[in-house]
Amino acid sequence: MPCWICSQMMKSYIWLQTADGSIQQVEQEVAMFCPMICHEVIQKGMGSSKNYAISLPQRVNPAMLSLILDYCRFHQVPGRSNKERKSFDEKFIRMDTKRLCELTSAADSLQLKPLVDLTSRALARIIEGKSPEEIREIFHLPDDLTEEEKLEPLKNTTDDPRIRLLNRLYAKKRKELKERQKLKNIEVEEERVDDRSVDDLLSFINGDNGDSKGIKNSKSKKKNRRRKDQQKNTSANEAIKNHNKEPNGLNQVCHSAEVGQKVRAGVGATSNLHDVEDDIFDNKNELDDGDIDDEIDPALKEKIDREVEDFARRLNSDWPERMQEILSFGHERKPVHFSLNGNGSLRRYASMLLSFFYY
Amino acid sequence: MRTDITNILPEECISYILSLTSPTDVCRSKLVSPVFRSAADSDTIWGKFLPSDCYDIISNASSSSSSKLLTSSMSKTQLYFHLCKNPIIIDNGTMSFGIDKATGKKCYMLGARRLSIAWANTPRYWRWKRVPESRFSEVAELKEVWWLDVKGTIETKILSPNTTYVAYLVYKFSSSRYGFEKKPVDLHVELGESDAGRTFRIFLDPSANIPQFSREREDGWMEVKLGEFFNEHGDDGKATCSLREVDNYTLKKGLIIEGIDIRPKDSR
Repeated sequence: MPCWICSQMMKSYIWLQTADGSIQQVEQEVAMFCPMICHEVIQKGMGSSKNYAISLPQRVNPAMLSLILDYCRFHQVPGRSNKERKSFDEKFIRMDTKRLCELTSAADSLQLKPLVDLTSRALARIIEGKSPEEIREIFHLPDDLTEEEKLEPLKNTTDDPRIRLLNRLYAKKRKELKERQKLKNIEVEEERVDDRSVDDLLSFINGDNGDSKGIKNSKSKKKNRRRKDQQKNTSANEAIKNHNKEPNGLNQVCHSAEVGQKVRAGVGATSNLHDVEDDIFDNKNELDDGDIDDEIDPALKEKIDREVEDFARRLNSDWPERMQEILSFGHERKPVHFSLNGNGSLRRYASMLLSFFYY
Repeated sequence: MRTDITNILPEECISYILSLTSPTDVCRSKLVSPVFRSAADSDTIWGKFLPSDCYDIISNASSSSSSKLLTSSMSKTQLYFHLCKNPIIIDNGTMSFGIDKATGKKCYMLGARRLSIAWANTPRYWRWKRVPESRFSEVAELKEVWWLDVKGTIETKILSPNTTYVAYLVYKFSSSRYGFEKKPVDLHVELGESDAGRTFRIFLDPSANIPQFSREREDGWMEVKLGEFFNEHGDDGKATCSLREVDNYTLKKGLIIEGIDIRPKDSR
């Protein structure tokens, strides 16, 4: 026989069997790229024929095996440049999340570390920056941490005021949960707590009560607005009382800015959060609040409006840059703008807030 | 019926994936599901987030500190969270080292003894004393001075790379404070020899109509931002942070300095 036919026939194959029973043969150099298969061939002498096919771990189904072999087939060729390999990898991992997970699992069981790294990084990029709910959605996970588990008081070993605050909020929310279960159809009137900073945070968490029970957005917005008006009254009254000591209003803002900053910094920066920060600011300034409370006596209202205007003017005037920085909550240097929040970002903010303080 | 991925991916794989995200993401993921909660507690993850020279730094800690004993018996996960809340004292008691929770980057506080404070060794002007609320054995208390010049330096090579750091003066006022409402102080941070740093001028003890730049810290002290700088590879020499009021016309009293806190931006 001519030599070139001989060399063709001499090409070695490895026999592999997946958990479903199906057997296939794969070119030796491709299969041996997987450490697990390599081990079976060399240490145990398996894979040389159909009867001695290597049993692959259960996590490797035929579809995954096929993908893995494609990967091996490409990368085992020694001559390829880094650029080529990278380009192949980028195209290779374009698949839906479920497949990515299956592939990670399969590659892991075959100890194919480069592929595990590739798929794991892709999954890490998917998880980064997402809220627990979003992650649950992406991976089709049931929400099976009970509400109680999520609202477990955190151990406050260092008497961290943020944790004290959070535990107070949890206690309140647990109480509300119980009440909600009793009074499903009656709209719950939230009582305002005296402490202003708790108020601010509460309004975010409470404002999102509507979501899970399918209550319309307008109702939550209405609650927000009512809350805003109440705060407007109290902060306005304070502004009037301390007429000559204007920085009080400033200090209030700084204080809630501080709370916002403490909380926000704890959560970490994502672009979703700036809406929420603006809302904190919004509660204090109410410049754009078209929803003027009819119960305020007009003369008083004018006085309040003037105070608010004055305050806003001072904010927007040329103060030292750093003041602007501090007031705009950290690294965002945009001028403050006012916007009403959708409930989606409130919920995300609330769950991020809860999750970061887990420890 | 959609399959949940925790049936597909073993917990170790989830831990590995989480270790490729950030400390904040991992903490958040504890609220996803019981499997995620368990996967998030693995040493694989927190070991990765710890600074690479963490153990070296700890081994150089003042041997008198009990924290050294404590930290040697901790898992990586425990160590990470311990260092976030409990800075350890290093370098002969002059500096403290901790970790920024959200990023795992290194934080340092230069104790007052490590700073260059003009006239600090003249008892008429400054006094050194112990206070229980300080992490260091001594803090500097200003009795009275005209020339106020406080400076601290830190080698960029001990900081985490590719990080913007902010420096804060950690202080409080005693009941006899004076002068800081009359005259603003100059705050400045500079990297290497560049002299490109900016100077901010603010009132440390502002009266009624004046903005307050200081804020209260969790440990009860006050802090004011001196400035910030970007540390790329740690080869920019030293970062110098200073607070000065040297016009020489205003007497100042009652400032108690714990040190200068240097930590990544956007942390607490």
